[in-house]
Amino acid sequence: MKLTKVQNPAAAAVTSRGAGPANTIDRRTFLRRAGMSAGGAAALGMLPATMMRKAHATTEAAAPEGGKTETVRSICTHCSVGCGIYAEVQNGVWTGQEPAFDHPFNRGAHCAKGASVREHGHGERRLKYPTKLENGKWKRISWEQAVNEIGDKMLAIREQSGPDSVYWLGSAKHNNEQAYLFRKFAAFWGTNNVDHQARICHSTTVAGVANTWGYGAMTNSYNDIHNSKAILVIGGNPAEAHPVALQHLFRATERNNAPLIVIDPRFTRTAAHANQYMRIRPGTDVPVVWGMLWHIFENGWEDKEFIRQRVYGMDEIRKEVAKWTPDEVERVSGAPEEQVKRAAKTMAEHRPGTFIWCMGGTQHTIGNNNTRAYCVFQLALGNMGVAGGGTNIFRGHDNVQGATDLGVLSHTLPGYYGVAEGAWKHWAKVWDVDYDWLAGRFDKEERPGEYFGEEGGDEKIINSMHAKGIPVSRWIDGVLEDKNNIEQRDRLRAMVFWGHAPNSQTRGVEMKDAMDKLDMLVVVDPYPTVSAVMHDRTDGVYLLPAATQFETYGSVTASNRSLQWRDRVIEPLFESRPDHTIMYMMAKKLGFEEELFKHIEVNGEEPMIEDITREFNRGMWTIGYTGQSPERLKLHQQNWHTFDYTTLEARGGPANGEAYGLPWPCWGTPEMKHPGTHVLYDTSKPVAKGGLTFRARFGVERDGVNLLAEDSYSKGSAIKDGYPEFTADMLKKLGWWDDLTADEKQQAEGKNWKTDLSGGIQRVAIKHGCAPFGNAKARTVVWTFPDPVPIHREPLYTSRRDLVEKYPTYADRKDFYRLPTRYESIQAKDYTGEYPLIMTSGRLVEYEGGGDETRSNPWLAELQQHMFAEVNIVDANNAGIKDGEKIWVESPEGARIEVQAKVTDQGVAAGVVWLPFHFGGHFQGKDLRDKYPKGSDPYVLGEACNTAFTYGYDSVTAMQETKCSLCRIGPA
Amino acid sequence: MHFPTRYRVVISLMLLLLALILLVPLAPYALAYVQGAGGVANPGTELWREVRQGVPGQTQVQGTDTGTLIGAGGEQWRRFRMEQLVPYSAVIFAGVVGLFVLYFLIRGRIRITAGRSGRLIQRYTLSDRWIHWFMAVVFLILMLTGLVLLYGRWILIPWLGPEGFSATAQFCKSAHNLTGLLFPVAVVLVLFAYLREALFNFKVDITWFLRAGGYLGGKHPSSGKINAGQKAWYWTVVVGGVLLCVSGLALYFPDFVQSRELLRNAYQVHTLVAVFIIAFFFVHIYLGAIGMEGSLEAMTSGSVDANWAKEQHDLWYEEVRGQPEPDPPGAGGIAAGGVASPRPDD
Amino acid sequence: MARMKFLCDAERCIECNACVTACKNANEVPWGINRRRVVTINDGSPGERSMSVACMHCSDAPCAAVCPVDCFYFTDDGVVLHDKDICIGCGYCFYACPFGAPQFPANVAFGGRGKMDKCTFCGGGPEPDNSPEEFRKYGSNRLAQGKLPLCAEMCSTKALIAGDGDVVSEIFRERVTYRAASGLAWGWGVAYGKPGQRRASGLENKASSQD
Repeated sequence: MKLTKVQNPAAAAVTSRGAGPANTIDRRTFLRRAGMSAGGAAALGMLPATMMRKAHATTEAAAPEGGKTETVRSICTHCSVGCGIYAEVQNGVWTGQEPAFDHPFNRGAHCAKGASVREHGHGERRLKYPTKLENGKWKRISWEQAVNEIGDKMLAIREQSGPDSVYWLGSAKHNNEQAYLFRKFAAFWGTNNVDHQARICHSTTVAGVANTWGYGAMTNSYNDIHNSKAILVIGGNPAEAHPVALQHLFRATERNNAPLIVIDPRFTRTAAHANQYMRIRPGTDVPVVWGMLWHIFENGWEDKEFIRQRVYGMDEIRKEVAKWTPDEVERVSGAPEEQVKRAAKTMAEHRPGTFIWCMGGTQHTIGNNNTRAYCVFQLALGNMGVAGGGTNIFRGHDNVQGATDLGVLSHTLPGYYGVAEGAWKHWAKVWDVDYDWLAGRFDKEERPGEYFGEEGGDEKIINSMHAKGIPVSRWIDGVLEDKNNIEQRDRLRAMVFWGHAPNSQTRGVEMKDAMDKLDMLVVVDPYPTVSAVMHDRTDGVYLLPAATQFETYGSVTASNRSLQWRDRVIEPLFESRPDHTIMYMMAKKLGFEEELFKHIEVNGEEPMIEDITREFNRGMWTIGYTGQSPERLKLHQQNWHTFDYTTLEARGGPANGEAYGLPWPCWGTPEMKHPGTHVLYDTSKPVAKGGLTFRARFGVERDGVNLLAEDSYSKGSAIKDGYPEFTADMLKKLGWWDDLTADEKQQAEGKNWKTDLSGGIQRVAIKHGCAPFGNAKARTVVWTFPDPVPIHREPLYTSRRDLVEKYPTYADRKDFYRLPTRYESIQAKDYTGEYPLIMTSGRLVEYEGGGDETRSNPWLAELQQHMFAEVNIVDANNAGIKDGEKIWVESPEGARIEVQAKVTDQGVAAGVVWLPFHFGGHFQGKDLRDKYPKGSDPYVLGEACNTAFTYGYDSVTAMQETKCSLCRIGPA
Repeated sequence: MHFPTRYRVVISLMLLLLALILLVPLAPYALAYVQGAGGVANPGTELWREVRQGVPGQTQVQGTDTGTLIGAGGEQWRRFRMEQLVPYSAVIFAGVVGLFVLYFLIRGRIRITAGRSGRLIQRYTLSDRWIHWFMAVVFLILMLTGLVLLYGRWILIPWLGPEGFSATAQFCKSAHNLTGLLFPVAVVLVLFAYLREALFNFKVDITWFLRAGGYLGGKHPSSGKINAGQKAWYWTVVVGGVLLCVSGLALYFPDFVQSRELLRNAYQVHTLVAVFIIAFFFVHIYLGAIGMEGSLEAMTSGSVDANWAKEQHDLWYEEVRGQPEPDPPGAGGIAAGGVASPRPDD
Repeated sequence: MARMKFLCDAERCIECNACVTACKNANEVPWGINRRRVVTINDGSPGERSMSVACMHCSDAPCAAVCPVDCFYFTDDGVVLHDKDICIGCGYCFYACPFGAPQFPANVAFGGRGKMDKCTFCGGGPEPDNSPEEFRKYGSNRLAQGKLPLCAEMCSTKALIAGDGDVVSEIFRERVTYRAASGLAWGWGVAYGKPGQRRASGLENKASSQD
């Protein structure tokens, strides 16, 4: 390559301290800008406008531009909308980004983040080389040395404390193949201590929704909102978190006259465009939803026929709802009757309406109650299973849906199979490994009677293979808790942050202690992340540069369950390597690469992505990740323009009739050519065309009450009523067994629709118009949960002591995801005297997640340079604070953060402080910029709001509470 | 030049854009009103009124005034510069110069009535003269470069072409900026150098003014070391100079946090004062160097002929008549310092 | 002949700043220079509205009128461009522009402003189309490639529209037609009062080639 010409000698940046001049890749040296060695916004003004295009053009000036530009199709790596991207690449350099007008999701549109993804190709602030912390100094090392040292340490820990003492923290930034491989990797290492961001974003949604009607995912799609006649957004600010979604919302508001109702404690940018805005106190979702339902039941607006046919337990809901009279709703939530009634009436009169929620609903100790209440609301109005209706749950990261589906979770294997023996046997079969060998990888210690310091306590045998692992939200406690209280052999000793921002997690001060206490901290990420700097360690920290998703390829699942294929835009920058390559290197070092890659071709050190896709296709029967072969996905990718903007159905073209991205469930084998399911539970279509019923997941009857659907079935169903899930026996009883081929029969014998690797059971069920997973009622009462009927409980750190008695939280629990978990012992203490304000958090459009990536992108960072707290003018005046001043925000567990005050009139109500959560790099008033490896500090640093957020975990999923805590503010 | 027409066009354009934007909030408002569901002022209407009035909003882009969507001040400033400053200043300068040409043609050079006595009187010390010529050079550079920037687009582009004029203008801008740094020094020096003699003596000075300095006929009115007209010039230079310095500094460092409004106001102050001073400067040049015999040498050699002093500054003459004669002209004159100045015409 | 215009639909603009970063992306303008910005009026209050603003490419551009060196010129499409080789960085255009479009690099020489930089409607400058020199000084020349400004093309909600003024106003007019039929969907006047009546608009099925 000739591009060295433009290299600025001053830019011969050295990343790691003590390392020699960059062993650089000539092709990339021009990407660096001069004078960037030290950070600080002050220095930024002097950035010379060295430009990639210029650099390129200068060196290629002789050749005409044309001919050489290659256009690569990729998908934005920021949020779950899944916007298409056209990347223009010249000689391996990402020189241009064009709007993908033909992409069915975004029609060329982007938000600030999507419109700046090309900056990834510059990558000035990336982590450039494997680096380790030695005597308090960052030292550049080779990949071989890094993998060897890390592997040796891990094997030693395994020897001393067992495999459960190494925590594998995965990522929603991985593509599906990497996510699947990561979960498989953890399984082969022998632990369930593996998790990712879904735990702290929508785990309560997945649990709540899946336990209501079968699948825990967005039921419709962004595009399907075009069909909505009303839109209700609660606990979400898509105008900032999912801006491109607003183009779909506006389609409904403008063309259908659909009213937009926003329920939120903060007057968000979404609320600015709403017809009705209802302000509630943080953490009172259940009262408000039940308050709306109260009016619906009171006026008989519910869809009685729908409820009769397809809903179980609505009478129990009625009993609970009856308690939520307008007065009580207003007393608890602050929402006046007039507003609540009006919202209920609007939703009742404009059907189908869609119901959208995000983190505002999920991140609570009662998150699972919230999400189930939302579902019940939609069931009551009969808004489920119809275009324009549904629960449109906007997921966060670009592949958080995929990573969730592929089981990067401590409580399940890929496909929500769980971690019980059957699940392991199913996957052992798919992986073609011996179940006993697999079981032998796990810890087998038996340690009865000493949990939680109790004498003569439960005799309990640790079976780490079948016990849920520690969730990411609690890894801190896995390190800090007394090891006798942890339901595993030893505490956590090594953490692997493989694409995770620690500042997205609460209890920052304790997290720092936990990091300090670890034996080893490994960060695998394109950026150093806050994990590199927030602790006081001097040794045992390894930073491994991972490639971004633009530097590799594979499939990614958008929020609407569509799988999209990304092509590689550029080669990995600097010394970074794709995540799956790093996994191979680690597996080789740890000694299980033969088994891990048994049916996956490895080229050099890079496993073949397509083989991984095909492997999970062979095992993911539960949720229909089986039909999306790489070939089909690539075909969709090459034919974006053929898919309809509203129905997502290809109109003609090679994918004619298929829904874009084959949204799961895409039943059966790829050869079966199922078109994917655009709208879940839509009985107006045959299952073969994307129709569906509610899943028969919870049995066929309960206490003598039928759980199967009544008089409701999908179009063309051979069974004109509810039916249980399909098994081999059921096929025989129905007389459909002989529809299977001989080969299928052999594989299906004794199996069910989830475990039959031939796909024959699914094929035959669908052939007869039936849903493989049965046809049941959705259940509004989840008898397996702590609160079968969703009820309101005050947050642990509540501002309303007067409500604690009536709406108390849960009792403390001794073993919940291996850890003791506190509820009432925290709520018992009144902090409101010292900490009178409610503290809540949210997103900014310019940044994403922990923000390490976006704060390192100068195009974005320039637009948000200061961490701030949005404070009502009343509270500001009371505390003697003016707009723009530095303030301390202090929380009841003793943490304090120094931020800028943004004083607002009506943005938040008096008594509420709102904090964005993307900042990091400052810690309790201290600027940690100097601690980053040289040249890899993000442009913008700031206090992480989660440093101040407090204890509190959802009663089902251990979701962290970030939306309702207490604080006080004062001048800094 | 068709400024008014152009102006109408830009205003129409902006109104058109605003009208388009206004349609949105207005339509449902009207509808709601018709339906009787109104009763509350439509915030949309209020919104665009605020925008038109330049009420600042919030933006993520850092910088001064970035929150202002539409700033009306720019239009006024444009009108000031293009419709008032440029044409009127040209008229003023042309008028002043024209008047003096006319005056010269009618009156000719005003001679020392009694002829030269041959006896010299020390009028300005060496430092007085250095200060004067320092100010003169600084002022001339600033004036010329300023005028090039003001009129060059019409006068010089046709000659030099756009590139040529750009280079010239770039040079003038830099020269103006750099020389401008010396101007405050010159103003302070001038202030102290001549302050004592420039203090007003009301009776004498008012009489001088009432008789128009005798330039329009009649006898020279009485005056001290410097006459009332010169005092006026002095105060113009000092006060105007301070204003030029202050406004100039505001324009000098645009990276401070000045609002555009402040910059525009500074520009207006700067140019108005400059026009006034330059016009006065023409008077000064005419009377000091062209129109009056024996005046210029006071600032070159430092000495004047006794008869000149007696006629022009009788009160001062009375004060200093007894003092010894200074060195012969030229010996320590500022001309020796290299300032090209016309020798007094004998 | 086309007359290029920007129009920002304030009812759709959500201040996502995509236009701002898209501009950076297309033109590689450095930190501190923002050819486009989004301004929100009444931030955080009912009635909050945002609008993306950059050079509006005025027919009778004040910047061009006041420029002492006459460095501005108009393309056949009505795009206002300027010649950085002629610009002397005096800042007059910045004083005159109602929209605050002209930008100056910060921290250039003492008392200097550097060359003015502003939105070119992705139309480059006087150099040969898409030459390296043109890109270095002005950024992309998308117009010469038959493309419209990236800011508008990437707008998340299609609030910012760019293009031939006639087409732009037609798109906008059509949108307003949809909205006018909607008593509930628009206007806080309605939202503050009694619930509006739902009216059959009769427009649901009307297809629009552009949205």
